[in-house]
Amino acid sequence: MGLFTSIDTAGTGLTAQRTRLDVISNNIANVDTTRTPQGGPFVRSRVIFRPRVSEPYWRSPFLPASLDNGIGKGVRVVSIEKDRDAKPKLVWDPTHPDAIKSGPMKGYVEMPNVNIVNEMVDMIDASRAYEANVAVIDGSKSMFLKALQIGG
Amino acid sequence: MLFANSSFGKTLDIIQREMDVSVLRREVIANNIANADTPNFKRSVVNFESQLKRALNSEKPNGNLEAKMTSSRHIPFYRQIDYRTVGPRRVLDYLSTSDNNGNNVDLEQEMMNSLNNQLEYQLLTQALTSQFQRVNLVLK
Repeated sequence: MGLFTSIDTAGTGLTAQRTRLDVISNNIANVDTTRTPQGGPFVRSRVIFRPRVSEPYWRSPFLPASLDNGIGKGVRVVSIEKDRDAKPKLVWDPTHPDAIKSGPMKGYVEMPNVNIVNEMVDMIDASRAYEANVAVIDGSKSMFLKALQIGG
Repeated sequence: MLFANSSFGKTLDIIQREMDVSVLRREVIANNIANADTPNFKRSVVNFESQLKRALNSEKPNGNLEAKMTSSRHIPFYRQIDYRTVGPRRVLDYLSTSDNNGNNVDLEQEMMNSLNNQLEYQLLTQALTSQFQRVNLVLK
């Protein structure tokens, strides 16, 4: 329990939400990308969060004690994964150079599976969470400044 | 300690303990807020004040009947709790769920807790400062 632990913890939240915002902005920027080095349309990414803990997870096999891993040291991004669950959108545009050339889907273009509305909502969520972490840091700062005034 | 057995010393001690708990609680709240979007994360809370209140209330004479004990192994009717044995207790709220990803952090509630905690800490520093100002008054 240190003076700056709460600031560090909120800092991990800032990093995580910042990463999430980066991923969201990349998704939005690529909303119309039909050509990627891997082939096919762009696939949206999502970030996977996990609590950062001070003690190992395997401490006890019994619930609910095994759920308790100390105070916790914030959050971390374990990976950024491609969202393959949502299928690419198909748009009818036979003159497009990336249109499907043959088969039953001839003339359709595979567009990225990015849904702008979902991304915007995620973005609001991320920026609100970021602000919440900033508020914690601000509060901690003023608390400790107040502690410096004791006796003065 | 200079004021070890005076009520002044006790006040300082209680305020100091309460400030320690306040910092601990802030860490827990910061962790809850940082994990507001983590799947299957469960929030924690810190309990301390109710136990402290129980301990402080047990120090007052409260009209309870004293049991006459003829053996050291008898259980008294009423036991005084030393407030120094009371520590903060961190509790994991693992039963509730508020999001569909198994997370139960309510961001608004945590922000309120954070603000409460901040004001509480400032109040405690004010109280401590005013205690020291009284000593200054005596020294003058």
